[in-house]
Order: sequence, then C-alpha cells, then structure tokens
Amino acid sequence: MAADNDLPTNYDVIVIGTGMTESILAAAASRVGKQVLHIDSNEYYGGLWASFNLENLNKWLVDCEKNENPSSDPDDPDCDVKINNGEDFVLLKNQTSHVSNINQKWHIPKKSYENKVEQWSRKSQTSHEEEDIDVVEDAESNSSKENTTRTHTNSESEKMPSIQFTRNSNWTQEDIMREYRRFNIDLAPKLLFARGSLVELLISSNIARYTEFHAVTRVLTWLDGELNVVPCSRADVFATRHVSVVEKRMLMKLLTGCMDSENLMQEFQGFDSKTFLDYLKSKRLTAHLLHYVLYAIAMGTDDTPCMEGVERTQRFLNSLGRYGNTPFLWPMYGAGELPQAFCRLCAVFGGTYCLQHPAKALLVADDRCVGVVSCGQRLVADHVVMSISQAPSNYLDETPSNGISRAVFITNKSIMPSEKEPLTFLQFPPGPNHPNPITVIEVGPSTHACPKGLFLVHMTCKQSKTAKEDLQEIAENLLTLDEVNPSDYDITTGTQSTQTVKQESNAASSEVAGGKGDETATVRTKPQVFWSMYFNCLETSKSSLSASVPENLHLCSGPDLELDFEFSVQQAEKIFKQMYPDLEFLPRAPDPEEIVIEGDTSEGNDQQEANMFEVDEEDSQATN
Amino acid sequence: MEDYKFLFKVVLVGNAGVGKTCLVRRFTQGLFPPGQGATIGVDFMIKTVEIDGEKVKLQIWDTAGQERFRSITQSYYRSAHALILVYDISCQPTFDCLPDWLREIEEYASNKVLRILVGNKMDREDREIPMHVGEDFAQRHDMYFLETSAKEAENVEKLFMEIAAELMEQAKSKELPRYDTNSPTINGRTTTIGDSNCCSKMS
Repeated sequence: MAADNDLPTNYDVIVIGTGMTESILAAAASRVGKQVLHIDSNEYYGGLWASFNLENLNKWLVDCEKNENPSSDPDDPDCDVKINNGEDFVLLKNQTSHVSNINQKWHIPKKSYENKVEQWSRKSQTSHEEEDIDVVEDAESNSSKENTTRTHTNSESEKMPSIQFTRNSNWTQEDIMREYRRFNIDLAPKLLFARGSLVELLISSNIARYTEFHAVTRVLTWLDGELNVVPCSRADVFATRHVSVVEKRMLMKLLTGCMDSENLMQEFQGFDSKTFLDYLKSKRLTAHLLHYVLYAIAMGTDDTPCMEGVERTQRFLNSLGRYGNTPFLWPMYGAGELPQAFCRLCAVFGGTYCLQHPAKALLVADDRCVGVVSCGQRLVADHVVMSISQAPSNYLDETPSNGISRAVFITNKSIMPSEKEPLTFLQFPPGPNHPNPITVIEVGPSTHACPKGLFLVHMTCKQSKTAKEDLQEIAENLLTLDEVNPSDYDITTGTQSTQTVKQESNAASSEVAGGKGDETATVRTKPQVFWSMYFNCLETSKSSLSASVPENLHLCSGPDLELDFEFSVQQAEKIFKQMYPDLEFLPRAPDPEEIVIEGDTSEGNDQQEANMFEVDEEDSQATN
Repeated sequence: MEDYKFLFKVVLVGNAGVGKTCLVRRFTQGLFPPGQGATIGVDFMIKTVEIDGEKVKLQIWDTAGQERFRSITQSYYRSAHALILVYDISCQPTFDCLPDWLREIEEYASNKVLRILVGNKMDREDREIPMHVGEDFAQRHDMYFLETSAKEAENVEKLFMEIAAELMEQAKSKELPRYDTNSPTINGRTTTIGDSNCCSKMS
C-alpha cells in the first residue's frame, strides 16, 4: 500500500495535524499560492478539536487508552528512510498524548426487557425520525418521545400540576447506539462571539460559506441554588420579572457606562489596581445584578481585575444584536466542522490532503527542520507547522502543567425546558468547592449534536484534580447522575417543568423511584443522564517554547480554556506573519461567479453579481 | 435578490480521475477538457436552469482533490440535496470503490439526499463495467443511474436537468431537507429575537 500512498516530496509548507490553528495556517498559506501538504495521523479531521459521532468517539477513547501504553512496530517503513550525516532524527509524539483520566460510563441498562408497548413506541418513533435532518420543527423539538407520552388526567389532577406517566426516560444503551450517527460530540466545545475574531475572519475570508451556525438562545446563571436567565438585551432586561424597575435602570446605566469609550478613563479612574468586583460594589448594585454582571456577562471571578472585567463586558455587549438574542453562535454539527472549513479552502487553492498519514519524526540539522519522515518517505518543505501535542518534550521550556477538565453528558431533556428548543450557555460561578468557573454549554437535536429527544451537556473548567473530581459535583446540581435500573423503567413519574429548575436535595432519587404520584408532582425534575464521559487535556496556550525548536518549525497550541476561538485565530495570524511577513493573511476568496475560467468569455472579476449571502449581510447590517 | 425560485446543493464524489470536474465543466460551461490548473480557487460552480418555467439554481460542488487520499472533509457532505457518485466505466477499481464511498455517504450525508450513480466515459471503447452491472448496483442501493460522457456531452445535460426536476418536485411536496430553503431569510437577522430554530449563515 505504501507505494500507492506515495506523495510528492517537496512543498512550501507541511502542516502536521488538522487542529484549529494548524488548519487556519494551512488555508492561509495555500490561499497566497504556497504549495501545502496537510497530513494527519488520524482518519478524521480536527485532532483534539474534533467532533465525533458516538461510535467514533468510542474509537477515540480506545486510541487514547492505547496510547498510554505505546507499542513499537518493528515493520515500520519509516526505519528505511535515509538519514544524512549531521541530521538529528527527532521522534514525534502521538496526538492523544495530552489526554488523560478518561472516565466513560453508561447510566442506563444495555437492553430493555420485553415489552410490547415499548416496541411499538420505538417503532413509531423511528418512522417519525425518518423525516429528520431538517432544521427543527418548532414545538416538538424538546422531546420526540412526547409522542409516546400517555397523559393520565382525572378530574382532580387537572387543577393540580399535571402528573404524567411517561415513558420518556426509557432509552437503553442499544437505543442510543442505534442512533450513533446522529451525534456530533465535541472534544473542545466552544462558542463564537458574534463579533469575535473568528466570525470576522470567516466572513472576510469567505470561508463562512462552508459553515452554518445556530444562535445561542439564552444565557443562564446559577444563583441561590437555581438556574436564572441572564437578561442580555434591552428587551430582555425589561421583560424579566426577576429584576425590579430600579434594578433595570441601574443595570442599563452600568452597561452603558462600560461601553462609553469617551468617558471610560474618567469612569474607571482609581480602579486600575482593583478588581471588577470592587468597581461593581462601588456602583451599589444589588446582589442579583452584581452576580449577573460579574459571573455571567463578564464571565469573571471575584479576583478579575477591573479593566479586564470591563473589557470582557464590552466584548459581550459588542457581540449582542448581530445574530440573535445572545452574543454567541454555536457551529452546526459541532465545533469540529470549523477546522474542516479551513481545510476545504486550503484544498480548493491546491493544498494536498492526506488523513491516516502519520508523521513519525522530524529531521533536524543546523537549527532547521530539513525533512519530515512520514510513511516511509522523506518530505521536504520551507516551513513545518505542527501541534505542540506532538512536539518532543525538549521543545517546551517546561512540561505543560495546566490542564482542562472536560465532561460530556447525554441527557433526556434540557436543564431548563422551554417552548422552543433551547441552546444554552451557562457560566457556573466559582464556589467553595470549585475555585474556577465552569463553562456549561447545552445543545440539542436541531444543531445535529444528538438525536431528537436527547440533549448534550458539555462542561469545561480549569483542571485542579481529575476531570471527574472537578466537575461531577457541579453536574449533580443540574443533572441526575444516578444509574437507572431496569426496574425503574416500568413507569416513571415526571412533571413538566416550565421555568426554573428548583433544586431540592434528593429530588432525583425520589423521582426515579416512581409511583409517588402527588408527592413528586411538586418537584421539578432534573434531566436524567444516560451516558457520561470525563477527561483531562493539557492546556498549552501559555506554554513557552524552548530554544531547541528549529527556526522553520511552527508549533500550534491545542484547545485553550477560553470560550471563543480568539486565541487560535491570533496565534495563526502571528505564525503566518513570521512565515510570510509580506503576504496578506487570508484575503477574501472569490465567489464562483467572479472566477474567470479559461475560454469563458463572460464578464469576470468586476461583475458584481449579487450573492445570496451578501445580500443578507447587508440586510443584517442595516437592521443593526 | 437573484432571480431564482429554488437553490439546490449538488455534490460529486468518486475516485480521482473518473471525470467529476469534467462533468461539472461540461454542464456549467460547455467545455472539455477543463484546462489544467484552472480548478485552483474554484469551489463550486453555479448554473441556473429552467424547469417548467421556473428558475432553479444549482450549486455544484467538486471535491477539491481531497478524494485522492480519501480525505474529504465531512462538512462537504453536509446540507447536500443531491449527491452524484461517479465511476469510470473503463476502470474497474473506480467501480470497486463504490461501497467505500457509500459508507462515507451514509455516515455524513443526510439520509434523504437524492443519490445518483453515474458511469462516466461511456465514449470509451475499452469498457470494463457493462451497463447492466452499474444499473444493478444502483438498484440495490436505491440510487438513480445514468451513463454519461463529459467528452461527447452525452447525457450530461440530462443528468443535471433530471436532478433539478426531481429536487424541485421534492421541494414542492416538502419532502426535501429544508436547510437551504431556510437560510436566505435568516442570515444574520437580528429582528427575530429568541428564534432558536434558525441557523445563521454568515458572510
């Protein structure tokens, strides 16, 4: 096979790995006419930035575990590559070497026991789902299983909160695995600020045509033991019942103050060395407002410096009003689509793509990378771009010690059900048992993150212990993590919760026990977790490189802790400027209408044929 | 707004060298063969056709060479309305690879995508795959089938016109996945507050 796979050997740039920063660089180099080879040892795009369906996620987990005990292959064709005198053979690491503490678990039975009613209901659901792949139909999005819900109402209960005898938590592992293709589970879930640098880059480079987004529908916060909607537009502020009229004025005044660049110096005089919390306190905000602004809007902590808090508040406010009710966008099919969009552009401009093509080693001589050893070939380029995760340890000043804790849950409903399918961003404020804020993103079927009737909850925070230790306790505030026994599948009771999810200790256990009827009717139930996964990943955005890095080797960080892709975009641009100081970074790619094909006599570049997307951009700007 | 009633995304897949780009070029520009290197920077081609007096705009996407080492981005398949799987009737290996392509299609494309199997280069005298073998394969996998020649302009127009007609038919009976039909109205719209059900297309 090796012969079939042989690649041309000379390039301007070789990019190893298809993570976000690497992919942006591949696109940027190709766009300005450089010959680019982009390879990845995996059979999928994205590396640690990938989104997987459930089956591929399982494969990834197996790979990660294998990596913990690497085995050497004596038949490795790379042993045949000729090394010249004076060249160092620098072995590269496996991409998954930065992943640890994997903990995956099912919370539901493997199979359901025989039950005719159930079989019937599964069947009716399947036929329902065949109409799928569309962009959500309004009300039914929350749970397609509502089809199979039997509501028992008698004259008495009509006045009371309705009690439903529902089968909507009776998914089995087999049911879920049958739908494995409908999952897109992110390793590095991130939102885009509507006016953040990635959105601007996608638009200015015309790469936006490969991507689709959903606007995040709400920003929640955790306040006094329950979930609260953070008002984030003027309309929100005035619509919310949780904020008094006086508070509304206060909040608007504060936010306007943060945005008033002319008087910024004056407003924040004396707060240079103080915290944002100090500033907010000086404004005599009520406890609620202070919480909204500090933890949700500025996504800060009690220690966030004042000016950083102001900047973060500005960033949030600046992104409001562009695409929806909140400042955030979520990529359809998961964040793993984004590196691929850049790869597509690279390929369109002539870049060569080869997955399942590992780079074994670098050949280094005189402080330059003179070759990449890959699949028995010696590949040569002026510049080599690679992820830090594959770099040998001595290329970093110190072993990366920062880490990210991640958790993913498959659940049966939203943490706070709403009329239309919600897409939620929740920044869980730091607390006594968790010093760092926790980012929670909940996505539903309309984003193609999961099948109908299910939700995915992503949690991310700075690592202090293992991912499970860092996140499980907080997860239990929002979700029921208990295992469901087959016997619980007979009939469970549930109530329709509409607004807030009230937290009551042990609510979960009494709920699952079922049959308690009226008692549980007053308890709003948390989503049941069907499957959970925890893992840790090194955070390399702050790693400093050592002097041993060859001058033409450019190392890219893995996923960072920040919510947006800001860091990757900036890093890619910075590296590109080092590689090609005189060339433009991702100039706009022409629309198909603008390309003159040889022999085509119709008008070319100047033709301003209205592109459907552009028309809309103008529209949207006009409405702003 | 442009003058068309429907917009459909059609993507082509199949081994390198089966003539995908030639089919697109023949249809959109009436050219054969496409000049070498001309594909650089070309993402998709557009042609507006008329079916029953209604304008239908086809956005035809090529693989950008990523098929060469089996490295097509998944996002290529997303939101496609029709998918043309191409093999070369004079090259057995390109036919033998069809199951691999189908697996990839199943994995990433909508299960309602219109699928068409195309045996290209029907002008070639050194045929290796009899027409009925292609037909059988298409039938077994629930696909439409057509043999074409981009070189002789044989059946190329027919291929795309039939796709356009079929998609229009489906769109009218609302069987079609509805992504693209939605997007023009929602791009970056800010007026519909809290509308969770629309996806935003930027740019």
